[in-house]
Amino acid sequence: MGPDVISQFNNKIEEYQPIVGKNVIDELRLLGNHLAGKRIQNVNSTFSGGGVAEILSRLVPLSNQLGIDARWDVIQGDEAFFDVTKKFHNALHGREQDIGDDDFEIFIKTSRKNIDEMRLNADIYFIHDPQPVMLISRKTELPGKWIWRCHIDVSHPNQRVWGFLNQHVCKYDAAVFSAPAFSQELPIRQFMISPSIDPLSDKNKELSKAQIEAVLNKYGLDAEKPMVVQISRFDYLKDPLGVIEAFEMVRRGFDCQLILAGGTATDDPECAKVLGEVRNRANGNPDIKILLIPPGSDIEINALQRAATVIFQKSIREGFGLTISEALWKSKPVVATAVGGIPLQIINKFTGMLCHSVEGAAYALKQLLGNPEMAARLGQNGREHVKQNFLITRHLKEYLLLFIAMDHESDIIYL
Amino acid sequence: MIDWIQENWITIVVPTVIFMAFCIVGLWARRLLYNRLDKLLIKSGWGGREILVQSTRGPFFFWFMLLGAFAALKFSPLSAEAQVLSERIIGSIFIISIIWLLIILTNRLLNIFLDEIKSPKPPGRLITNGVRVTILLLGVLILADYWGWPLTPVILLLAAAILVAAIASRDTVLNIFSGLEIAAGRTIKEGDFIKLSSGEEGYVTEMTWRTIKMKTPDQHTIIVPNSKLVKETVINYGRPLKRASKPFHFYTRLHLKELTGLKARNLTELVNVLKSAPDSVIYYHTHHFLEEHQFLTPEPANDFALWVDDSLDEHVLAEKLANIDTFAYSSLEALKSMIVSVIKKYMADNPASRLVKGENDFHFLKSNSVVVPTPYFASDLREFVEVLRKITIDSLYYHIFESRLRLQKRSNDFSVWIRDSFGEHDLADKIDSLVPYTSTIEAMRSFIIQNIEKRIK
Repeated sequence: MGPDVISQFNNKIEEYQPIVGKNVIDELRLLGNHLAGKRIQNVNSTFSGGGVAEILSRLVPLSNQLGIDARWDVIQGDEAFFDVTKKFHNALHGREQDIGDDDFEIFIKTSRKNIDEMRLNADIYFIHDPQPVMLISRKTELPGKWIWRCHIDVSHPNQRVWGFLNQHVCKYDAAVFSAPAFSQELPIRQFMISPSIDPLSDKNKELSKAQIEAVLNKYGLDAEKPMVVQISRFDYLKDPLGVIEAFEMVRRGFDCQLILAGGTATDDPECAKVLGEVRNRANGNPDIKILLIPPGSDIEINALQRAATVIFQKSIREGFGLTISEALWKSKPVVATAVGGIPLQIINKFTGMLCHSVEGAAYALKQLLGNPEMAARLGQNGREHVKQNFLITRHLKEYLLLFIAMDHESDIIYL
Repeated sequence: MIDWIQENWITIVVPTVIFMAFCIVGLWARRLLYNRLDKLLIKSGWGGREILVQSTRGPFFFWFMLLGAFAALKFSPLSAEAQVLSERIIGSIFIISIIWLLIILTNRLLNIFLDEIKSPKPPGRLITNGVRVTILLLGVLILADYWGWPLTPVILLLAAAILVAAIASRDTVLNIFSGLEIAAGRTIKEGDFIKLSSGEEGYVTEMTWRTIKMKTPDQHTIIVPNSKLVKETVINYGRPLKRASKPFHFYTRLHLKELTGLKARNLTELVNVLKSAPDSVIYYHTHHFLEEHQFLTPEPANDFALWVDDSLDEHVLAEKLANIDTFAYSSLEALKSMIVSVIKKYMADNPASRLVKGENDFHFLKSNSVVVPTPYFASDLREFVEVLRKITIDSLYYHIFESRLRLQKRSNDFSVWIRDSFGEHDLADKIDSLVPYTSTIEAMRSFIIQNIEKRIK
């Protein structure tokens, strides 16, 4: 399945050249030359679904195009194992989870099976997220460097789960986190590599006016009225009720509409509850539209973001929050709370507006709706910021630098 | 046999005498004619004299021999049919000898002519082969006509062959005509630095009637067909400038952020960590904002000033830290001491230190630099400017910021090279005086390019 996922990715590295410039692609090639033939084995838990699989399905073929022997394998596990890893995932995010000794036993049992059965043969083993973390047990028999890549916000982890993982993470040669706040006290080197968006993906590619209008018509949205949009799962942590409250404060003085668009996780009963509450709260307000977007509707999300006047991300807790980068890439002014990885993407009043409360969000929204020039400038700065720091080419470059850094201890490496 | 000779000796002797007479006349005429021709050609000073004389001397006598044979045939005892056949054979030999002479002569004369054309270098072999084939074809047609063979199919065949050849070599022909145009224009010469609107640039190392070879600043040789060259807008910067004994090799510096695991929640913790922080930490927190937000208005504050302002609400201290002139310090150690002393002085004046708001701890990061050589070299200021236009901002950072502060060089790399290689002190000082922390990197690039261009105009 891995090769299928990779083969579906048809973009050539040259296709990014018109976006990021020839010199950036030349730099990637320079680094690729230094790593030519290096075997990098990526291991995670799935070939499809989720951000890790999405980014690997792009970064692995792009690395190969640069002459690196990058591969991608997944560990095997039964339903019980993945139920446990899901609990671990939530617990690491700081959510309350009922985790017992039997959960750890299931995790260890499946991990041991993978340790015994998985074919590992590389110069660098790049292990993604907690599910395959125990593969490090084979470090003694396999020469090469081992890197643990943590894609999760572990700034407030459940201490029992983190303590369990920590004993394995410490055996790696290095760990990689997405934001400074996610790092942990570890005896190994820790690097910071932010996630990225792909400007050529369906979610971010340029759309024609007709494509955008088609989506607006489909959902019965008024293209003429300023549009405030929040795209995220219906989840308390994304604070959709707070968004409605802030919108209502602004609506008194500005003729605009609010679109709350997102999906619900079928395995999360809380989502349905939140959706119900949001519908009740918005009931009777013709300027608030709640859209349930089915999974895989990337072009529709893209169109809604492009049609927006202002984009909201009023999360109470957030991982890295790549939806911010997606919005900024479309040159949209963004109002977002200063949580998780959001402050890395929004420099207050430079690339967007940060807020800490419903009132703050309302005030920022008023400023943007009332001052289109300012909104346009923030959007433009935001796009430049993303272009320089949150595109897949930067991500690829930093992974290549990471592989190079694994062979050097000093702060300055001369190639 | 003897009887036959006795009866017919006169029919043998007469043709032989006639043939011999023509040979003698031929020798005499050749001496007379060539003496005069030689003097005439010497007087004219024509370079092809020797070739013309040497190439035609032999054939000239040979033609008299053929003439002798032709005349002798008239008095020979051969039958009328045999005579006609012999005459045709002699005529054919004559035509072949003329063709052969023309081929030799044009070949040698063309070589002299083509050798005189230095730039663009003509495709000598192609031209001589073309002329050779043309004469040969003409000869074949004349011979066919002479023997009374039907010419129409031959001409049609030739026309078809010429058409096919023309289609197959249309690019070559186009390039040759373009080469003629370039040669006639005399606007590009070997040694010139040219830049095409399609992006190719470099010194012209060789010009032929078909292509132009260029040496690019990244040490590649590119070959541009003349037909492409005449279609492009070409900027010709002219002759090479003074060459540096040691070319400037452009490097780029890419960095990877390493988390130190250290953090601070108030000013005391900030100072304590700072005191023992390595240069790479100081470099990161005083430069990363500039690198990651280079598109923003200049004069970005360092991370310490931003954090103190946003997370501790210590606005006065934030202003003091933001006002530290990074450019005034020649080492990161000195810069660090200044930052620490500003914070300590503020803490002494304001003992009630505040705790960070929420979870916005200051996380200490450091910069891991990977210095990579690029393929770009510059041996003179023209090449230098052209490379400057295309290198990444990372490369500019390396040569302007990192070399100066982190690697503790006395100046930026560009100024050092310009001063040492060309003695251009004014230009080097001007680049040196640029305060990199108060302009965007693109503005700096433009400033350097403009100043060098002004100097080499």
